[in-house]
Amino acid sequence: MRILLLCTDAFGGYGGIALFNRELMRALSEHPRLEELVVLPRLIPNPIEPLPPKTRFVEAAARNEAAYVAQLLGTIRREKFDLVICGHVNLLPLARMATKHPLLITHGIEAWKPLRDRVSNRVVKHCRGVVSVSDLTRVRFLDWSRYEGPTFVLPNAVRLDQYGIREKNRTLIERFGLGGKRVVLTVGRLSVSERYKGFDEVIEVMPELVAEFPDLVYVIAGGGNDAPRLARKSVEHGVEQQVIFTGLFDEAMKADLYNLADVYAMPSRGEGFGFVFLEAMASGVPTIASKHDGGREALLHGKLGMLVDPSNAAGIRTAIANALTRDARRIPEGLDYFAFPRFVERVHAIIDSVAP
Amino acid sequence: MCGITAIFAYHDDAADVRPAELEAITQRMFARGPDAGGTWVSPDRRVGLGSRRLAIIDLSPEGEQPMFDVDRELVIAYNGEIYNHRELRAQLERSGARFHSSSDTEVLLQLFRAHGERMVELLRGMFAFAIWDTRTRRMFVARDPYGIKPLYYADDGRTIRIASQVKALLAGGAIPRTRDNAGIAGFFLLGSVPSPFTTYSAIRAVEAGTSFFVDTHGSTGRHRFYSIAEIFRKGLEQRTIANLTTARTTLREFVGESIDYHLVSDVPVGVFLSAGIDSTTLTALAMPRVREPLRTITILFDVFRGREFDEAADADTFARALGAPHTTRIVTRDEFVTDIPKFFEAMDQPTVDGVNTWFVSKAAAEQKLKVALSGIGGDELFGSYPAFEDVPRIVKTVTAVSRVPFGKWTLGRTLGVLKRLHRASPKATAIPSIGGTYAGAYFIKRGLLMPDELTSVMRASDIDDALQRLALDERIASMIEPDPMTPFGRVATLEATMYMRNQLLRDTDWASMAHSLEVRTPLVDAHLLRQLAPLLLSRGEECKREFAGTAPTPLPTAITNRPKTGFQAPLHEWMSLADDATSTRMRSWARIVFERYA
Repeated sequence: MRILLLCTDAFGGYGGIALFNRELMRALSEHPRLEELVVLPRLIPNPIEPLPPKTRFVEAAARNEAAYVAQLLGTIRREKFDLVICGHVNLLPLARMATKHPLLITHGIEAWKPLRDRVSNRVVKHCRGVVSVSDLTRVRFLDWSRYEGPTFVLPNAVRLDQYGIREKNRTLIERFGLGGKRVVLTVGRLSVSERYKGFDEVIEVMPELVAEFPDLVYVIAGGGNDAPRLARKSVEHGVEQQVIFTGLFDEAMKADLYNLADVYAMPSRGEGFGFVFLEAMASGVPTIASKHDGGREALLHGKLGMLVDPSNAAGIRTAIANALTRDARRIPEGLDYFAFPRFVERVHAIIDSVAP
Repeated sequence: MCGITAIFAYHDDAADVRPAELEAITQRMFARGPDAGGTWVSPDRRVGLGSRRLAIIDLSPEGEQPMFDVDRELVIAYNGEIYNHRELRAQLERSGARFHSSSDTEVLLQLFRAHGERMVELLRGMFAFAIWDTRTRRMFVARDPYGIKPLYYADDGRTIRIASQVKALLAGGAIPRTRDNAGIAGFFLLGSVPSPFTTYSAIRAVEAGTSFFVDTHGSTGRHRFYSIAEIFRKGLEQRTIANLTTARTTLREFVGESIDYHLVSDVPVGVFLSAGIDSTTLTALAMPRVREPLRTITILFDVFRGREFDEAADADTFARALGAPHTTRIVTRDEFVTDIPKFFEAMDQPTVDGVNTWFVSKAAAEQKLKVALSGIGGDELFGSYPAFEDVPRIVKTVTAVSRVPFGKWTLGRTLGVLKRLHRASPKATAIPSIGGTYAGAYFIKRGLLMPDELTSVMRASDIDDALQRLALDERIASMIEPDPMTPFGRVATLEATMYMRNQLLRDTDWASMAHSLEVRTPLVDAHLLRQLAPLLLSRGEECKREFAGTAPTPLPTAITNRPKTGFQAPLHEWMSLADDATSTRMRSWARIVFERYA
């Protein structure tokens, strides 16, 4: 079986979608019927990590948009594929060039409402299958798309061996002034266009939490153009001393970052799934996610951590306070539901279903 | 759902609590809770609690009230339903709390122990309760954010008496029956008595969304824990969130969640069904969420048969398509006339509304239902009342006219002429003087009589003092503080805090409880409003259409295209109301109500 994967970024990429695509490629490469996986990435901002076997990563496609189209046209002219996977809804018009019936992957908010162009909205109806990272995304996609074909839920995978409970990294403690502090952590992009992550909500409950837990600080880990506004907001709420911005964080230090935290809280409204929750839980940090986005599935509907309504400040405050006073650090039982071997099984089951 | 009583003789000089008074107040609310009842008086006789119980969650005797916690340090009298009681219980248990029952009542006790007065912010539901803390010798009193469940008090400076109904407090015999002209004027101006007034000087309503303590110094620490105006203000800041999904998805998910919570019950639940969008969509969303189809109830006043207000046929077709066991209950003139004395006997405060709820609740009770869902609140939530267009238009017009020299004077003269020719509402002449603000324009839109017309129903010598104390304009204006900033937000806040709170919800409570029926309102939910506020502010009145689209199968066009008629009762036809220059003759009805209530 030969598979063509069109994706935004994967190896050499940054963020949740790139990570998902890397794991998808690794899982596909283990499929017993796979002869070759050809991948056209749209972006490669970072050095490329070692590729999985049977994988051809067309780096030239990432040069610019024209190069991407040229590489795609060249590839489909020269080669035949049994399955074309469209790794993002934005690539649907291009996927249509390769096949009328791609397997579409939806990650989150991009699939929660009609797509930005008419072609995509038409193509989407003819997909061979639609894979969503969460059931919430699947249902929200079906809500508007009138798509009637098969759908699959493929949650993110976490490499449990890369995390674990560790001693707090002294360098980071000093760098961010966290000595003797208890830490609430949120990791995410601070983007003006993505004001749904829940940073605002946590900052708003910080004054009362600090009154109850004077040693508490809120660490916001991530870069982006919304940081100045959030900094102003922390001043308005009188917690500028307790809200710490790390800026963009080195991926290699992520496990240490999570281990700084006593609570991971992200009362977001816009997570398709929320890989960060898996990372936090794999680091043994009591985790709080939203009831109203894909985060609830990352926490297995509350089995692995606490769920809150992002619009309910009292609920958020109480959940954080409970986590600080009640929950010891431990890796929750049941997290292996998201272990990589399970991810591989799910990927193979989907492939066998759409390309028998 | 219950009727509750609390008496606290907090001042040293106050006489001890009389068990007979406690019993009399509690027994006056028998219909609110025919399943069980009880009273408790503290060993020192300074505190007494009472309850009549309509058993809906935890039907066992363990759920009876007044209820102590396992440590016998806290005791509660509580009316309402806490829909998220299971989640709260699980959290409390993880923190070590112990329970002796599976009722939501006991969750309140443990929640108070864990969080003190902040507990109310964690509740999803309708509630009014008093908790006596034997450790601190303080009473904690709270009422839900919208004011779905009633709670009244009389505080004479020595003893505070609290109950679910005004008439129950009076039944105790210790509270003077002096009439309050401010409350009476409020009734004639608005058609219902504006909170916190009642028609009795000694009795006031506990404001919705507030809590307070009572200790040896009296009531203290009054705290507003929910403000609808603030929710809309915050929703405006969060408007971008509304764009994350389609309006339909947002409505389906959040209203669906609210319905899930409102279906939490240990007894069967029914639905009030009309042929309107709110109740049909609610029914369509609720039906797949239950194992046994929900029984649906529609009433038809036989004088309306075949006329525009006849919703029975469309409701019947709709219910059958959903597979619901359906009842269309015909109300005849004879039954109406027979019931009217009981209706006025049950009416807790004078109101021009409540007739429909009386009969539909009666019909539900006949079907052995203890709980019914209602679509009330949909018009306030989705902005489908004419006030959402008319109030901003009045404000805009008066503001524009007032910029023109003699503009207001000319407008006033013109409206005066039109009024004399019966071409304008009797309220029209008030437009130039008070229509320039949202509070004034809202009063014109929703008011029954104008202040200068009170002489026809009250003694002239009482009016000035009544109006001064009522301070209606300031009272209405205070509802939109902080300013929700948008026309939709302002009118939605006023509708929710004035008409819905003082009339619709209050009347739904007494008229349903008179038949021992608990009415649940999934569209009147403090959490739902917080969740939907960004969407409501960005999409406004469109939300009603989108809400109709959330039904799992499309609503029939007979329902979606049906002109809005409101939930009418044939008062004009069956009570021979005198012409009062209005189409509804509500002014005449108000006079009859006041006479019969008095």
